[in-house]
Amino acid sequence: MYSLLPLLTLIVPFFSGTLCLFTCLFKFLEEFSRKMSKILLLISAALSSAAPLAMIPYCAAGEVLETAELGLRADSSNIAALASTAILFILVSIYNMGAERGGRLKPGVYNFFLLLLLCCMFGLLLSYDLFGIFLFVELLIGVSIILVAHNPIKASTEAAFKYLIITAISALFVLIGVLAIYIFTGESNLLQLVSLPEKHIVLVKNPRLLMFVVACFIIGLGADIGLAPFHGWLPDCVPASTIIVNGFTSIEPIPLILALYKLVDPLYRIYPSSVILVLMLGTGLISMIFGALMAYSQKDFFRMFAYCSIDEYGHSLFALSLLSPQEAQSLIIGQFYLITGTIAKTGLILSLGSVYFNTNCSDMDSLGGLVEKMSKTALSYIICAFSLTGIPPMGGFHAKLLFYSASYKFFNNNGNLTLAILMVILLVCISLISFIFLIRSFNRIFLGRRQANFDVKGDVPILMWLPAIILSAATLILGLRPELLLRFIRPVYFSV
Amino acid sequence: METLSIIALVAASFVTILGCFSKSTRQTIILLSLQALAIGSVTLVRCLIDLIVGLNIEALIHFFIAFAEWFSAAVVVPLILYWGVVKTENVIDAPIIGARRLAILIASAAAMYTILWATRPQLLQKENMVFSFCMLMFSFSFFLMVTRRDPLKILAGLNMAENSLYPLLAEIPLMLVPFILTLMIFVTAMGTYIIVEAYRDHGTLLVDRWKVAW
Repeated sequence: MYSLLPLLTLIVPFFSGTLCLFTCLFKFLEEFSRKMSKILLLISAALSSAAPLAMIPYCAAGEVLETAELGLRADSSNIAALASTAILFILVSIYNMGAERGGRLKPGVYNFFLLLLLCCMFGLLLSYDLFGIFLFVELLIGVSIILVAHNPIKASTEAAFKYLIITAISALFVLIGVLAIYIFTGESNLLQLVSLPEKHIVLVKNPRLLMFVVACFIIGLGADIGLAPFHGWLPDCVPASTIIVNGFTSIEPIPLILALYKLVDPLYRIYPSSVILVLMLGTGLISMIFGALMAYSQKDFFRMFAYCSIDEYGHSLFALSLLSPQEAQSLIIGQFYLITGTIAKTGLILSLGSVYFNTNCSDMDSLGGLVEKMSKTALSYIICAFSLTGIPPMGGFHAKLLFYSASYKFFNNNGNLTLAILMVILLVCISLISFIFLIRSFNRIFLGRRQANFDVKGDVPILMWLPAIILSAATLILGLRPELLLRFIRPVYFSV
Repeated sequence: METLSIIALVAASFVTILGCFSKSTRQTIILLSLQALAIGSVTLVRCLIDLIVGLNIEALIHFFIAFAEWFSAAVVVPLILYWGVVKTENVIDAPIIGARRLAILIASAAAMYTILWATRPQLLQKENMVFSFCMLMFSFSFFLMVTRRDPLKILAGLNMAENSLYPLLAEIPLMLVPFILTLMIFVTAMGTYIIVEAYRDHGTLLVDRWKVAW
C-alpha cells in the first residue's frame, strides 16, 4: 500500500533536529536553548516516535506501507525493530534530562545530532535500496563519531579519531559492495534484485563476485557494528563517551545488524552458498567467543560492557545467519534476540552510567557496597544482567532458548547430530562465561566492601533510575509474555 | 576503454604513490588535490564536450554533477584539510616502516594486481580494467593511511581512497551523487574538527602520543 508514513518517520526527527539547531544559531535564543534543550529533545523524541508507532496496526495486519520512490518500506519484518528503536530512544531521552552535564557541542547542536541519529536509525530500518542503506549507515556512523567527541575529556578525541578511521575505511568496503552489485546488475532495490530472475542471473553466473560482495558487506558493516575482528574502536569509545551517548549508541545495533542481514539474506537466496553461511556464522562465533573472554578479564566496567556488547552482537548475528533458502525463521529468532538483548543492554549501560554519575569512577576494584545507597540502580542492573545471561523468567531466557533450538536444528540439518550437540554445548559455555562476569561485576560494584572513599548520598534522580527500571520491567514482561513481541515479527518472503 | 582514461588513471595512480612518500602534510594535501584532478578531469572534459555538442538539459545536468564531484574532491576537501594544518601544524615525517620497505610493498601490490588482471578471461579484462585501477589506487591510499602517524596525512589518505572509487561512481543514479559527495565532505570536516580538538587536548599531532591508559 502506498503510504507517506515511512517518509514521515524520517522527516519528523530530521526537522525537529533542525529546529533545535536553529535555537543555537541566534544569540537571543541561546538562553532558551540552554534551558529548554533537554525538554525539547524529549518532546522531539516523542513526536518522532508517533509515525513508527502509528504504523504498527497496519503492519500487524499484514499490510506493507511503502514510499516506493525512495525505497522506503515498513512491513512485519521491520516494524518491531522500528517501534523498539523509537521507545528505547524516548527512554534514553528521559535519562538525558537527569544526566546530561554538557560537553564540546552546544545544546542545540547536540540535540540536532541526536535526532539525526534517530532519523538515520529509522532510515536504515526502512530502506530497501542499496544506496539508501549505504547513505544511512555512513551518516549514522558519522553522527555517532561526533557524539563520542562530545565528551570534554582527552580520551574522547583519540577514541573518536580511531572510530572515524576504522569506520571510514569500512564505509568504502560497503560502497565497493554496493557499486559492484549495481554495476553488474543495474539494480539497487533489494526486493527487485531478488524478485526479477534476469537480475540475479548475473550474480549466479559470477559466484566469485557474489562472495566478494558478501565479504565487503561483512567487513564494512562488521566494523560499523563492532563485530570481532573489526571491533578496534568499540572498547575505547564506550569509556570515552558520555554516559548518555552510550545509552543512545547502545540502540544502534538494531538497525545496523538488521541492515547486514538485509544485504546478505537476498544474496543467499539468489545463490545459497555455504561460503556465505561460513562467513556470517564465523564472524558471529568469533565475536561471541572473543567478546565473552575479553569481558571476563576487565576491571573497568565500561570496557567490560563494550566487550559484552561484542559478545551480544555476535549472538544476534549468529542467530540471523542460520539462513535457509526455504524459510526465514532466522529473522524471527535473530530479531527477537537482538531486540531483547538491546533492551537489556540499554538497561545495563544506563545503570552503569548512574553508578558513574554518582561515583565518577568506573574501576570495579575501587567500587563496592553501593546496593544500600543505590538500590533501584542495583535492581535494574541485576535484572538486565540476568536477562542478558538467559536466566528465567527474563526475556533473554526465551531468546536464548529459541537461539539454541534454532542452532541445534540448523546444524543437525546442515551437518550431523554430533556437530549440532557440540555447537549447542559451545553456545551454552559462552553464555556461562557471560553469566560469570556479569554476576561478578554486580558483586564488585554493588556488594562487598568499598575500596575507595566515595561520598554517595543516595540513588540518582528519578529521571535516571526510572528508564532503567522500565527497561528491566520490559525484559521481565517479555520473559513472561514473549508473544507480545514475537507476534509483530513476521518475515516477508521473497519469491525467488 | 579510451586511451585518455587510461592515461588519467595511470597518472592518478602515480600521484597516489607519490602521496605515500610525501614528507609534509601540505605536500600530501597538494598531491590529494592533484589525484582528484587527474581522476575527475577525463569525465569533466567528456561531459563538457557532450554539453557543447548536444546542448541539452540532460548534458547540462551531467556536466554539473561531474563538476560538483571534481570541485569537491579537488578543491573543497583539500581546503578543509588545509584549514586543519592552519589550526594545528605542518608535520614533517616519514613512513613508519621506512621508505624502502614501503616501496617494496607498493611494487608487490602493483605486480599482484597486474598478474590478477592478466590471468582473467579476455572478455572480463576490458570490463574490469577501471575496477582494477580503482582497487590499485585504493591499496596505495591504504598504505599511506597505515604507515603514518600524522592524523591529517591519514585523513588525506582516506580521501585518496575515496577518490579512487570516483570512476565507479560515474555508474550510479545521478540524484544520489550530491548525497554521496555531501557525506564525503561531512566525514572530512568531522575528521578535521576531531583532529583540531585532539591537538588542543594533547598538544601534539602524532597519534601514538594520544594514547590514554585505561
